[in-house]
Amino acid sequence: MRDEIRASVAEGRMGDRLWLYATYHCNLTCVYCLTESSPRIANRRTLDSDAMVRATAEAKELGFTCVGITGGETFMLPDFPETLRRVGEILPVVALTNATLFTDRLLARLEPLFELDVAFQISLDSDEPARNDELRGPENFAKVVDAIPRLLERGLRVRLATTVADQEPEELERVCVLHRRLGIPDEDHVVRSVVRRGRAATAQMGIELGPTDVLPELTLTADGAFLHPFAPTVRSGRTDIDLLVSRQIAPLEMPARRFLSVVRDQPLGDDVVRSIR
Amino acid sequence: MTRLPLLSATEAPPTARSWYRADGSASALTRSLASAPDLLETLMPFLGQVMGESSVDLATKELVIVRVSQLNGCSYCIAAHGPLALEAGVSPGALRAVCDDAPLDELPERERALVTWVDGITLEPAAVDDEVLAQVLQWVREDQLIELTLLAGAIGMLNRYCTAFDIPPPR
Repeated sequence: MRDEIRASVAEGRMGDRLWLYATYHCNLTCVYCLTESSPRIANRRTLDSDAMVRATAEAKELGFTCVGITGGETFMLPDFPETLRRVGEILPVVALTNATLFTDRLLARLEPLFELDVAFQISLDSDEPARNDELRGPENFAKVVDAIPRLLERGLRVRLATTVADQEPEELERVCVLHRRLGIPDEDHVVRSVVRRGRAATAQMGIELGPTDVLPELTLTADGAFLHPFAPTVRSGRTDIDLLVSRQIAPLEMPARRFLSVVRDQPLGDDVVRSIR
Repeated sequence: MTRLPLLSATEAPPTARSWYRADGSASALTRSLASAPDLLETLMPFLGQVMGESSVDLATKELVIVRVSQLNGCSYCIAAHGPLALEAGVSPGALRAVCDDAPLDELPERERALVTWVDGITLEPAAVDDEVLAQVLQWVREDQLIELTLLAGAIGMLNRYCTAFDIPPPR
């Protein structure tokens, strides 16, 4: 079975990135959040550091080539810089963050990551502060444009993610101008639609996902393993499990085996435009 | 009111959907278990084996199922399996007896020996004596008794699950 998993990763039937939902806790309350994350979330559902490191080590054994860590806000976890270092020592990793918590002290703790293949993917939805903050929260724009240069000057790689709600192409082009000015190249800018799940579904925002719209990527959360990072959404406080593949997340071979049983007969596709990578 | 979500086929995890019927329907028990799909993957084939036709006839199995459910007071399982028992060939009189609606001594000797065994292992297994075992082995083979005993245990588990979570009985 391990060989079959490795082969499926190699041929792209199973995405080569393992996603880890570090926590559902967040300091922001974005209007389109898939997981209803917020400062007041009742149940933070956190993956502990050892669990993330173990999953990463096992992922490497199974042929995965990289890891994505998301949430919630990953830096709400007090030990996240150290977790990131431990994960990054095993596989290349991209950590999704809103970049609003980067104090000098925290940035100093990130400096050891300079030597590793670690990238930060930061969300920014508009070049207009008011527009961006309307979607993501007060002062978000200012904090993001402050954080990006400070990360870059420490030699840390930064990617930018723009989530499209109702922005016009001209507005998105202005975001591109901004990210280039901030020192982020075009290949490190990700643009994806709001997905109509979680809080976005409650607010009637975004696009419905079809079964083949997203590359299947094994995604671990404290609630179980899911088909892709858009899957473990929350609505009215309850996690959607329509795309759950297993409640078991360790050892990784078990959810990977069940994941494979779901995707084995699906045609291979290359439409990953909507992936949150 | 049930204490668990009863998932529709579209709400259920992909690996659980194979236990739903083609029209998307499923028993309330299945719909509740769909929240734990890994368990479902193992449990359903086990239940299919232990409850389905085997070297033990279905009427005997249904008699055991209803009796254990009666002892445990599981309205879901009695409602689900009463009709199945009749369909499998349990007489209406025997069904009434195992449901305590008629005296047990009205049962034929074989069924009485089985019910005595089932009552013992369900209510106080440590007190089941050699005589009760010898009596039931006059009517079923040892391997069949193993199967029926595991069936009684499995039904006891389901009785506790359905009762504790208040799974709504089929109408």
